[in-house]
Amino acid sequence: MQCSDLGPEMLEYLAGTLPDDRLAEIRAHLAQCQACRDEVDATAELWNELGAAPAPRPESARMRARFDAALQGYIDGQAESRVVSLAAPRHLAIRWQPWVQLSGAAALLVIGIGLGRIVPASPAPQGTSEIALLREELRDTRQMVTLSLLQQQSASERLKGVTTSGQLEQPSAQVVSALLDTLRHDPNVNVRLASVDALRRFNAREAVRKGVVEALPQQESPLVQIAMVDFILEAAGPDARGVLQRLAEDMMLNQAVRARAELGLKQVGL
Amino acid sequence: MGVLFERHHRPLFDFLYRMTGDRGAAEDLVQDVFVRMLRYRSTYRDEGKFETWMFRIARNVRTDHFRKHGAAVYVPEEDMDWATDAPGPAHLLERARDMARLKRALQALREDRRELIVMVRYQGMTHEQVGAVLGVDAGTVKVRFHRALKELRDAFTRVPEGD
Repeated sequence: MQCSDLGPEMLEYLAGTLPDDRLAEIRAHLAQCQACRDEVDATAELWNELGAAPAPRPESARMRARFDAALQGYIDGQAESRVVSLAAPRHLAIRWQPWVQLSGAAALLVIGIGLGRIVPASPAPQGTSEIALLREELRDTRQMVTLSLLQQQSASERLKGVTTSGQLEQPSAQVVSALLDTLRHDPNVNVRLASVDALRRFNAREAVRKGVVEALPQQESPLVQIAMVDFILEAAGPDARGVLQRLAEDMMLNQAVRARAELGLKQVGL
Repeated sequence: MGVLFERHHRPLFDFLYRMTGDRGAAEDLVQDVFVRMLRYRSTYRDEGKFETWMFRIARNVRTDHFRKHGAAVYVPEEDMDWATDAPGPAHLLERARDMARLKRALQALREDRRELIVMVRYQGMTHEQVGAVLGVDAGTVKVRFHRALKELRDAFTRVPEGD
């Protein structure tokens, strides 16, 4: 047993929840390793100290009253929207004949045009700012979803995160940085490939171009490397000459990648 | 819903208080969690554990809070008063100061590390339960938790004793 094996199992060891054979192994190791004994003692002490740190008790009665009020508001809101969406149309449909509806619409149109000419243009009403707020909230939620998807364990979820980033109108710097991080470190080739595509939208940004160039030598997959060469070519055009030249001459790179870099050099006129 | 509130508002408050270090904010966030549970109840699947779903919502609520207000290191004044003015023998005073230092160290940890410690130590969640909330396996939780504890120890030694 190595000292480094002990760490993740320390709590189970202290709690006595490890299987007997594993417990015996750890005990044998501790008997001969002073450093690990010290580590166990320090962890036990910290664990106990943490347990002694109190949190205040919540004001349950006040919180319950607020919650009941919120719940009642929610129920009332639901009931109101049901009344508006169901009761009103049925009520109107019984009394109003089509010719009445048509005449009414025509009259409203005439009134609307008349009012439009009379009333001067006014600043944006409150409704507009509410819609803007809602849009902002929605955008924030989408960004949050994207970022959380990119951090998932499952490759298909991360792929979904990369795809979702393409649907964001104005992705935050955090999302772009998460995409670059995915390109650099994601273990799945498909996810990395998708992230190169997603980053194309931001290829006008210097930091993104630099990030992709720097990430290229770390890539092991020629497929991803070729996609990155295409990205660099598309993003920098003739300015990509230096990078492409280096790639074309780098004997450590896959031959297909070097060939793509050479082709790129021809495309930019070298 | 009232039954759910009675059953879960305390652990939720404890989680959110230890994550924000702010009693008022924690109470507000608990409300927010229950309102979201109400609004998004259709996303709960019977096969999943309720607490897992609830803590996922609580994490989202907390993330929104930090995004709006920043995840500043914050120690409630009441704790500091308790640390400096506690009556009694010297060793009790010293212990109170240690507790305050430990709280500061916990608040100084990275959010994801602090969250692990709070879930395991204070919510009594198993590695598997924490893994279900975070969407990772239990082995990963073990390793991350061990790292978080080490960082807490380091952070504790860095907090000045006089504080």
